[in-house]
Amino acid sequence: MRKVIGLLLVTLMVLSALAGCSKDSKDDSKATQTDTQNTTTDNNKKENVTLTFGTHQSGLPTSGIIQELAKAYEAESGVKIDFQIVPDAQWRDLLKVKLDSGEAYDMMNVDADPLSLVGRINPEKNCVDLTDQEWVSRMDPIVLDGISVNDKVYGIQFNGVRRSVFFYNKDIFSKLKLEIPTTYDEFKQVCQTIKDSGVTPIYEATQNGWHQVLPVCETGSYYITKYDDLYDKLNKNEMNIKDVKEIGTILNEMKEFADLGYFGDNFMNQSVEGAKEAFAKGEAAMFNNDTGWAVETETEYPEMKGKIGIFVAPWADNQTVSCNPTCNAYFINKNSKYIEEAKGFFAFLARPENLEKLLNGATNLVSLCWKDTSTKENPEYVDYFKSLPAGMVMQVGVSYIDPQWMDIGKDIDAMYSGTMTPEEVLDNISLRRDELAELASDPAWK
Amino acid sequence: MNKKKTYPTYYSYAALALFIIFFFLPGIMGIFYSFTNWNSLSSDVNFVGFKNYEKIFSGRYDFIRYIWNTLKFTGLTMLTKTVFGIIFAILLTHKLVMCRNLQRMAIFIPQVMSFLIVGLVFKSLLNPVTGFLNNFLKTIGLDFLAKNWLSDAHLALNTVITVDTWKGVGYLMIIIIAGINAISSTYYEAAQIDGANFLQKTWYITLPLLKPVILNVTILNLTYGLRVFDIIYALTNGGPGHVTEVINTSVYSEFSKGNYAMGTTLSGILFIFVMMISYVILRALEPKEEL
Repeated sequence: MRKVIGLLLVTLMVLSALAGCSKDSKDDSKATQTDTQNTTTDNNKKENVTLTFGTHQSGLPTSGIIQELAKAYEAESGVKIDFQIVPDAQWRDLLKVKLDSGEAYDMMNVDADPLSLVGRINPEKNCVDLTDQEWVSRMDPIVLDGISVNDKVYGIQFNGVRRSVFFYNKDIFSKLKLEIPTTYDEFKQVCQTIKDSGVTPIYEATQNGWHQVLPVCETGSYYITKYDDLYDKLNKNEMNIKDVKEIGTILNEMKEFADLGYFGDNFMNQSVEGAKEAFAKGEAAMFNNDTGWAVETETEYPEMKGKIGIFVAPWADNQTVSCNPTCNAYFINKNSKYIEEAKGFFAFLARPENLEKLLNGATNLVSLCWKDTSTKENPEYVDYFKSLPAGMVMQVGVSYIDPQWMDIGKDIDAMYSGTMTPEEVLDNISLRRDELAELASDPAWK
Repeated sequence: MNKKKTYPTYYSYAALALFIIFFFLPGIMGIFYSFTNWNSLSSDVNFVGFKNYEKIFSGRYDFIRYIWNTLKFTGLTMLTKTVFGIIFAILLTHKLVMCRNLQRMAIFIPQVMSFLIVGLVFKSLLNPVTGFLNNFLKTIGLDFLAKNWLSDAHLALNTVITVDTWKGVGYLMIIIIAGINAISSTYYEAAQIDGANFLQKTWYITLPLLKPVILNVTILNLTYGLRVFDIIYALTNGGPGHVTEVINTSVYSEFSKGNYAMGTTLSGILFIFVMMISYVILRALEPKEEL
């Protein structure tokens, strides 16, 4: 009797496993039939098609405009977009693992720059060539390098050139009779004055893993004024990153600021998303980010309109404007079952009316990298930028920097918590460059 | 022996085949790849000898610290979970304790919670400014005990160990309760007659007879601790800095960088550790045969 029961149970288990298999094929054939029926309909809507869109937390505008546009696309085409959002600190690693294991999303939001794109997602192997898409010719040529490999375009980008600055609360500065600092010593004095008044001078956020790296890499526009052909020499391995003395200086300055309490007591537990509230409530006086952040803050906190000033971060006495033409861009997975639908979504986003909706709806965007689109850039900021020399950020000009961005972030965390020195952080940046170059069999490192 | 009731060896062949194909062979292949420069940035796979192992043990990188963190995590969680598991099991099998089943359930429930949920909840609870723990301590006048639990380099690993113990002790408690319930009551009756108190019964009867169960839970703790990843990833992602990085978070990091050879090298080292330490513990806790 027991043997009969045992045999029945085993048979049930095997049947349920096989039933699971047959259910998928039935659904596929049903979907195929439905697709066939739908292609013959007038509105050409595709049902039962869901595209997965993988992205990191800060990769999409917090206003939800992309999701709104996706809903509009769904209403028009019947294709659903399923946004799968991952914390910033885990995104790059997770995407790489998913691509290598063949389980990546239909569409991916990737930090795209010309030096790191291949190492990050290897577009030639993993992504769909979009060069023949109509909208490519409408994009600003300056951004195409970041989303192309061997002259083929693989992605679609929306953000225009970004400039990184320190935002300051004009009311706090006015109350404390402070001028914007132009040297490190002035910066220190400003921070001390603000700290003495009971306000946290700078809102720093290390939880996302990337924010603490900005001072080191975004000040590249200053490094290139100190060394001739710096980026070229670093890429040809004719100079070591440790030879750029200003990087060491900046790391020491950041450590000093942390030790002096200019980032507050809780910065190691803070995330970038909390900066707007802290800034608007007057709990923190300054914050480092790109100019789109001011628009976001003013939208969420209208009382801050006209009260957010900017200055370039005077780390190591820097007085240059850092420019970054690259940003996150969307790519289509070559192994996706719905490539045409994904292309359709990109074409939908690229329509002029939708680009304007995106610009108006994305509070963090001040301009787009598309021809014939308007701009939300603050005229006060534009005049300020014109008064200073500009240069490209280090992570776009120097190889093997962006791929180790999150590792640098962890090392800076270690520096702040006292388990690493600034010199060790710089040593590690150099070591990881050598390691990545060796892995890529870079001829300049042989 | 009743031959009719003994299962023949070939019954295990299918399971053995699955184990060899999906676990053993990949492990051996991984060890082979650890002697190469296999990575995602180049299609060539070249033999590089012990280069990867040299990198790990040279001290130039942080891998030694990750191995040490793994061993520390394993040792401390083994100790805390076993000790607390035994204490809870003994208390919750004592007839004088009320609502035993309810308490067992309350202690066991964290075990069935997802690591991600536990990580997110504790990150919130342990926030130094807004978290429940520090605010509670300040409310009852114990401000000096309020710390940066997850962002202080000296405390972070111990905090992770504490959270992991809270999550895992229930599982061990259940196993030990099963072991206690299997002990014949005649031993306790005899001890009672001899005038033994609760502690003496526990020390001279319960613990010695629980030795096989303690051996099993030690092995479970060991294999879990050496392979830990989820709780670290969810709570600290190896931070602050690298103070809570362990071997498996490092393997994940190397794989995601595309440095597969280094990832398999670290996994190979972990495999050797698990084998060595398991063997030592099994031999140490084995009952010695009388001659």
